[in-house]
Amino acid sequence: MRPSMALLRSIILFFLICFASDSIGKEEQEEEFSEELLLRPLPDRKVLAYFHFESRVPPTDTYGRHHHLFPKAIYQLVHKFRVREMEMSFTQGRWNYERWGGYDPISSSNAKPPGVELWAVFDVPQHQIDASWKNLTHTLSGLFCASINFLESSTTYSSPDWGFQPSLGNSRYGTLPREAVCTENLTPWLKLLPCRDKAGLSALMDRPSIYRGFYHSQRLRLTSAEFDSVGMNSGIVLEQTLTVVLQPSTLGTGTMYSSGSSLQPSWSISSLFGRKVSGKCVLAKSSNVYVQLESGLVSELKNLWKENERSEADILAFEGSWANSGFELSVVPDKVIKEASSLGKGGPSFLYEFLIKNYNDSKPFDLGFTWKFPIYWSCLQAPLHASRFLMGSGNERGAIAISLKPSQQSGDFYSVDINEDNCRLRVDVFQVVPWYVKVYYHTLRVFVNEQLQSLADVVERMHVSPSEDKVSPGLMEMVLKLPCGVKSAALTIEFDKGFLHIDEYPPDANQGFDIPSAVVSFPDFQSSMHFLGDNFLNNSPMLSKLQERSPVLSYTEVLLVPLTTPDFSMPYNVITITCTVFALYFGSLLNALRRRVGEEERRLKSKAAKKTGRLHLLLSKLSAKLRGRPWEPPQSPPSSSSSSLVSSKLILKVILVAGIAAGWQYYFG
Amino acid sequence: MGQKRPRCSLHPYFNCPLLFLLGLPFLLKSIEIYRSPLPFRDIDSLSTATESSPLLFPCGFQAVFVGFDHRTSSKFNADELGFSILGHMRKLTESNLVCGTCGNNYTVSVALDSNTGCVRNQKVKSACSWQCGALTDFNLDDNLKDDEVFDEYLESVLVGGERCSNLGGKVYTVVVVNRDEEVKAVVGKHRHAWIIGRVSEADAVEKIAEIFVNIFVNGGKEEGLIHGEFMPVGADGRVVLSFNLLNADPRDWIYDWDFQTIDEILLAPIIEALGAVANISVESQVLYHTPKSSFSYWDDKRGSYIFSTKDLPFFVNSNEWHLDTSIAAGGRSKILQVVVYIPSAKECPLLLQLPNGDVSMTNGFISPMWGGVIVWNPPGCMRDSESMHPLKHKISAQDLQKVFEVFMGQFRQLFGLKSDNLYVGSTGTSILLASDRGFTEWELDVLSRQHTCFNLLSCATTLGSLSRLVQSLPRMIIMDEIGKQVKFSLKAAQLAQSNASLGIYDASTVSSRQARSLAEDAFFHPSIMSVSYYSFEHCFAVYSPFFLPVSLHVLLAVVREWRRYRQEMKKYLAWTTKRR
Repeated sequence: MRPSMALLRSIILFFLICFASDSIGKEEQEEEFSEELLLRPLPDRKVLAYFHFESRVPPTDTYGRHHHLFPKAIYQLVHKFRVREMEMSFTQGRWNYERWGGYDPISSSNAKPPGVELWAVFDVPQHQIDASWKNLTHTLSGLFCASINFLESSTTYSSPDWGFQPSLGNSRYGTLPREAVCTENLTPWLKLLPCRDKAGLSALMDRPSIYRGFYHSQRLRLTSAEFDSVGMNSGIVLEQTLTVVLQPSTLGTGTMYSSGSSLQPSWSISSLFGRKVSGKCVLAKSSNVYVQLESGLVSELKNLWKENERSEADILAFEGSWANSGFELSVVPDKVIKEASSLGKGGPSFLYEFLIKNYNDSKPFDLGFTWKFPIYWSCLQAPLHASRFLMGSGNERGAIAISLKPSQQSGDFYSVDINEDNCRLRVDVFQVVPWYVKVYYHTLRVFVNEQLQSLADVVERMHVSPSEDKVSPGLMEMVLKLPCGVKSAALTIEFDKGFLHIDEYPPDANQGFDIPSAVVSFPDFQSSMHFLGDNFLNNSPMLSKLQERSPVLSYTEVLLVPLTTPDFSMPYNVITITCTVFALYFGSLLNALRRRVGEEERRLKSKAAKKTGRLHLLLSKLSAKLRGRPWEPPQSPPSSSSSSLVSSKLILKVILVAGIAAGWQYYFG
Repeated sequence: MGQKRPRCSLHPYFNCPLLFLLGLPFLLKSIEIYRSPLPFRDIDSLSTATESSPLLFPCGFQAVFVGFDHRTSSKFNADELGFSILGHMRKLTESNLVCGTCGNNYTVSVALDSNTGCVRNQKVKSACSWQCGALTDFNLDDNLKDDEVFDEYLESVLVGGERCSNLGGKVYTVVVVNRDEEVKAVVGKHRHAWIIGRVSEADAVEKIAEIFVNIFVNGGKEEGLIHGEFMPVGADGRVVLSFNLLNADPRDWIYDWDFQTIDEILLAPIIEALGAVANISVESQVLYHTPKSSFSYWDDKRGSYIFSTKDLPFFVNSNEWHLDTSIAAGGRSKILQVVVYIPSAKECPLLLQLPNGDVSMTNGFISPMWGGVIVWNPPGCMRDSESMHPLKHKISAQDLQKVFEVFMGQFRQLFGLKSDNLYVGSTGTSILLASDRGFTEWELDVLSRQHTCFNLLSCATTLGSLSRLVQSLPRMIIMDEIGKQVKFSLKAAQLAQSNASLGIYDASTVSSRQARSLAEDAFFHPSIMSVSYYSFEHCFAVYSPFFLPVSLHVLLAVVREWRRYRQEMKKYLAWTTKRR
């Protein structure tokens, strides 16, 4: 190859001029990427690790369509399907709302139903939404090596009106509860990060470690303002989070304390993930690790501090320090961030911030967290704990029940005005039911404190779009207003189990059919944290995300409904048995037609005259033996030679059959 | 009692099956399937037409002799010169009639322009021919030094030829100027070339024939270059140029580029120029942590790391280089990857060694149908001090310009053209002027001729396979849409053929592209693959539980009846012999 194609000098000049002017004009808007990790000890001896990656790109109008950090695939996806907002999650395991918390922003936005959940808002005319949704699911399924394309089937997706996320038009929501999540889904997800898992915090994602956890949820959310004609155009924001709950291995810390309780397991980043952080991803604008102490834990620590009879001044000092009696961090944090204590949430929580940019290969970051005393605390929980179950038996009908029970702390939330009659707790319920479960919405009943209530008293607003066979699933959105001091509440709704066409059964039909999780949200309660001071917020997208106000949200269990499944070989059985009956009929008909009655009678007569049959001979022999008398041959004695010949033939035959059977057993058995 | 001759009476037993046979048409009617009628005969005729006679385009050639003294060479008149050029050209082309060339379907006109007069052979219409004395106004002494200027001047003179080129193909011109200087042959950016210098008419004729045949018709291709069958255009006539800037290790340095400018200024004219051949779209991305997967070694003499041509198959690291397929591109688009690879500090500078031991000047290579790789070494290979956080650099405009030139050469090679600007033929070397659009007009002509031919061939083979498939599976459902696509494809192919025979290159390329894309659409229509048809095996499985036992009964009856017949026959024979 030789140097090729000298281009005109003028072109070069023009190019240079453009280059210079462009570089001046583009100072303000840049693509950004940031990576953050939040670690939080959980009350049940586990540790929550929450990875948060965010990529931003300025709008196309001002920035152009060529990018340097932002993943090309996502940009093309947004533009091809005109996606305004989209969220997809792959989850394995179920979030334990009672032990891991249900009120904080992380659990509200990252606790997801098992399997795949996808919702998207499109910027296309109403009649094109379904087509866009189907194409989007196919694209995503190719992009993430998952069978998301099954979300195009009419049983799995619906168009929520207002119950799922407020003020979303043109949206679609679908779940696949049975999708198995594994590393083939994580790898393409990591490919969207500029450093993938080669450097930075994502290098911690050792596959065996993170899939060993109790809960694993990888989430991708993108918000685009590309198609907004008016207002602030913020471009596309891609938020990728990975939430894992891990069990730290207890390494011989068997010290028992006087109370008989054992110490919480101490952990470090290397013991949790099997790796250390060796420097940040060089492309990230910020790369931080946080350790969060929940408010419950903080107040417990304070009590411990008080027990040791420290002065008030010491307690104040505690709040700003990282070294205290309850636990020890192996690395000095760069900053301590305190949450503004808000009403109804107990005390403040603390965040210890570590900047990864100070670490490198020779000095890897390995945070250790060592407990000194056994401490027990509980997480902040949603005002009501929701669970869902099936009622009834048999393959014909049943009922779905959603039960809401106040969590232990819920008294705190509305202790102020608990006595007022007009205090009401708003609960939104969003439920999608596939069309093969035929729900009778008129059978909806609501029980409050185990008393049947009339719907008008409790249900403030309800939107039902009944299911249509093979077209759309049933959708129920409703707003409940429960009295504040409610002891228990339950919703029941009855259904008939439908029959499917033989083609519509999945390969493992006998396993049962899933009813996706219902979403229960509490719009009166906002899960957001308020941090004191605001200078750090600019450089931490995760913290600003945690400060965003969003309603407390929880998902119920996935239900498994066993439907009547046919015997799938039945059509062939029916064919075979009918054909056999027909063949029998045909055979007898043929015999009857063929028979020449006169001729056969003649022949029979002559045969009877000749001799008795061999069967008759054998029978007489047998009866003689049974009676114990010596056998007498029938009247016409056959020659002995022939009888012996017959018996020897018989014996030969029996031996032959036995031999074949033995051979068969030997070779094939 | 008299014996009768026995009769074998089987007919009542076969009445039953006969009833079934009567019902068979109804059964067949009930399991009948829908098949859209396909024009099999038209498909066959298209296949045979493309196979038997290669698609040839009409071309016009014009030779202009300026400044030859006709008194000394009076025996050459214009006609004789024309015949002589024709003879040489026949010699060069007679061996093969390659599809997408002009074959023997061309005309040669000759104009003799001298001080004494102007002679033309009469074949050419006057509007299209050379304006005699055009070069006398032009100051040859000054302007011949600069080829570009002369090229533009010739273009302005030959504009008349341009006007009539739509009638019967493009007209290519070679101007021979007899002057007292070194012989120089230059091929311009448009559809003309010129030879200047001390040249005899006989030599000039030979050279003209070579330029016509080897350069203007065949595109100056040599053996060993990519063959025409490897057209880097997708089945739907689209090409996606995917530019990738790979930072092997961003911990050493991070380089960025200003691709927006490249796209707008350098790529846009090329895409426009190739518009007839392919619908090209451009996308770019920057990737990090993408080491190459082959090894390189340190060479003291050159002071650089060397990778040789033997390592090239392992250079592209498909595990780490996720040069994804594009979502924006359709399913059958061709994606050409262009990779600019920036080595890490521990293998910088990285140079490509050619088999002859030299270092490659472009430091890049192509892989046909996949794309090209260019290794770009950061200036100085200096790491940014010892800080842990490398600065973000931008590749400077000059460097980017160089990279782009290499890319342009690779891109031309991927399309089967020469990447350098010299053509070495049997009669000497010709200089090829390069266009700032990347492709000169005559090169675009070559490309569109070849692509038309290839598209039509591919369309014919695809439709042929489709018709064979459809005919071999008589129970396959064929949707109306497929029939429609086949019809339109055939129509577009016919249009392309008629346009080609008229010499309208661009239009025929566009319609041949349509024909190919429609044929592929029909062949890969989802309904062809996925609809499970009601097969005869299925029929057999359903009805054998009935027909098997029934046929057993019938057989047994037949055997019994036969046995009885033989017995009775024996008896009858015995009786007849006894009676006799």
